[in-house]
Amino acid sequence: MAGLTKQGVAGFLAKQGILVAFVVFMIVFTLANPRFIDIDNISGVVRSSAILGVMALGVTFVVIGGNLDLSVGSMMSFSTIVVLDLHDKIGPALAIPAMFALTLCLGAFIGILVGYLKLNSLIVTLGMLSAIHGLTLTWSGGKNMDIADKEGTWFAVFGQGSILGIPTPILLFALVAAVLGIVLSKTPFGRKIYAVGGNGTAATFSGVPRARVVFLTYLVSSLCVAIAGLMQASRSLGSQNTVGQGMELEVLAAVILGGASLLGGSGTIFKTVIGVLILGFIQNGLLLVGLPFYVQYVVTWVIIILAVWLDIAAKRGRLLSPIA
Amino acid sequence: MKLTLTGVLAASTAILVTSVAAETMTIGITQNNVGVDSYQTTYEKAFIAAAEANPNVEAVVLDAGGDVARQIAQMEDLIQQEVDAIIIWPTNGEAVIPAVRKAFQADIPVVVTNSNIAEQGFDFVKSFSGPDNITQGSRSAEIMCDKFKDMGIEAEARVVQISGQPGYTTAIERAKGFEDRLPEVCPDVTLVETQPGDWNREKSQQVMEAFLVKYDDIDGVYSGDDNMGVGALNAAKAAGREGIIFVGATNFAVGYEAMAAGEYWGSIYQSPVDDAEAALQTAIDILNGADVPFLNYFDTPKITQDNMGDFTKPVF
Repeated sequence: MAGLTKQGVAGFLAKQGILVAFVVFMIVFTLANPRFIDIDNISGVVRSSAILGVMALGVTFVVIGGNLDLSVGSMMSFSTIVVLDLHDKIGPALAIPAMFALTLCLGAFIGILVGYLKLNSLIVTLGMLSAIHGLTLTWSGGKNMDIADKEGTWFAVFGQGSILGIPTPILLFALVAAVLGIVLSKTPFGRKIYAVGGNGTAATFSGVPRARVVFLTYLVSSLCVAIAGLMQASRSLGSQNTVGQGMELEVLAAVILGGASLLGGSGTIFKTVIGVLILGFIQNGLLLVGLPFYVQYVVTWVIIILAVWLDIAAKRGRLLSPIA
Repeated sequence: MKLTLTGVLAASTAILVTSVAAETMTIGITQNNVGVDSYQTTYEKAFIAAAEANPNVEAVVLDAGGDVARQIAQMEDLIQQEVDAIIIWPTNGEAVIPAVRKAFQADIPVVVTNSNIAEQGFDFVKSFSGPDNITQGSRSAEIMCDKFKDMGIEAEARVVQISGQPGYTTAIERAKGFEDRLPEVCPDVTLVETQPGDWNREKSQQVMEAFLVKYDDIDGVYSGDDNMGVGALNAAKAAGREGIIFVGATNFAVGYEAMAAGEYWGSIYQSPVDDAEAALQTAIDILNGADVPFLNYFDTPKITQDNMGDFTKPVF
């Protein structure tokens, strides 16, 4: 009990405000519909959040490095369509590495523009959002992509399979989160990302290769998109060209909800995971409560703002801003 | 000197064009967004093929790429070119009205295809050629009700609906057709909940997962199109819930295949080829002075596991 002094509680709240907000929502939704806490439902929500989640992990790197990535949604559509198309043409064993290579090329291209040419990341990735969508449509000719033999392919394992009763998408999400969490918090590269995002000029003078670090964050982001695309393609074994459309904003919402600053230099993988889960559980919870969709749009937004407010209030120890 | 020469050239070209126009009719079309989905891609191919097959028709085929501003500019181009009739697949039912009005003022008949423009623009349009989404919705209700009667559960069945993107006329009309017709044909069937799936397979799968957690007893799922219906089907399969009757609209290849596999019961067959040919024929009929109804619907029949052999697999 010694740890539970007033300062201890305040310190915990300041550090984990978003976690508290998460627990509060879970309790409210459970009271509204007990089925919310059903293990099948929870596993379902985490599984369907996993795709968005993996993308958010990559974008966390970019955001901590002080940049934005609005291209991840259309890049995910690209990966999904490409791997589905190649699956029937060259087989899944070759289609997967080919898709990863192509997606990483897109990430490297953005990385060069933002990192080495120092172009504004908002403009570059906003442009790439439509450019990559165009690329996807050119690749597919606008057609939906479907795997012909849906029953006989092992490709379904990444999206539909399970190991020891845990769905593969959840395992992949956890694995990517663990690896990226260690990279970000325990390696020199991770520390350099915080340095570049926190104060780029100071980082440069300290000998941190700023351009290369930014370049690598985009490479990480596109790697995550490729994994997400793989999970998406494998889950439905078929896809529209617009499968990832609009996801860039949900991804960004999850990252910011997790407490990463848009100005760069702060954020953690763990908090992004919490942000992703909050978004997933809000959507699921509102469906279970059975509100009409137009109310859901408003309530989703209110909950996000509330969560961000709780987080900030916990950090500064009071609800209102000290500077009125 | 150069100016005069251009003037003469322009004049002679104009004469040439008019003399040609006397024999053939020039019909311009500005489409919504070719390439965004297979329906629109197939529509364009079918339109060009139908126009080429008719020796009296000269077609000017344009695509707005989903961009309202570009579509308005294309309307103006077609008016400038003095085509005989314009077919428009609106990118936005309201924003294109001023451009349609311009064509009306230039005495060029306008045919709206596939999705209608907003009502305040009806005065400037000769005819709407496309599917009747309310009828589609009510036919889906009939398909579902007939199946429930076969199974003997029409007194107790419970249905959920996954609708299209909120705000889209097609989504609203299909939902309305379904909701109005279902109590007429099967008064004891309950529609327990409706949620949007945004025409998106993945989103519909998530919505259906939530429905399955929330309701232990679901007998039927109506989806605003087959793409969403297959998403819902995937959710039910993953959850191991069997015996649910899936009915959709706009039969997609995936829906057709799921029907062939015996997992999906029925849908509404809407062919982009019929859609394109109907639009062209409507424009030709108007130019020939025929009496064309304002709402010129083409037929979109019911398709179920029982009669699917009569239809070819959709290309989209």
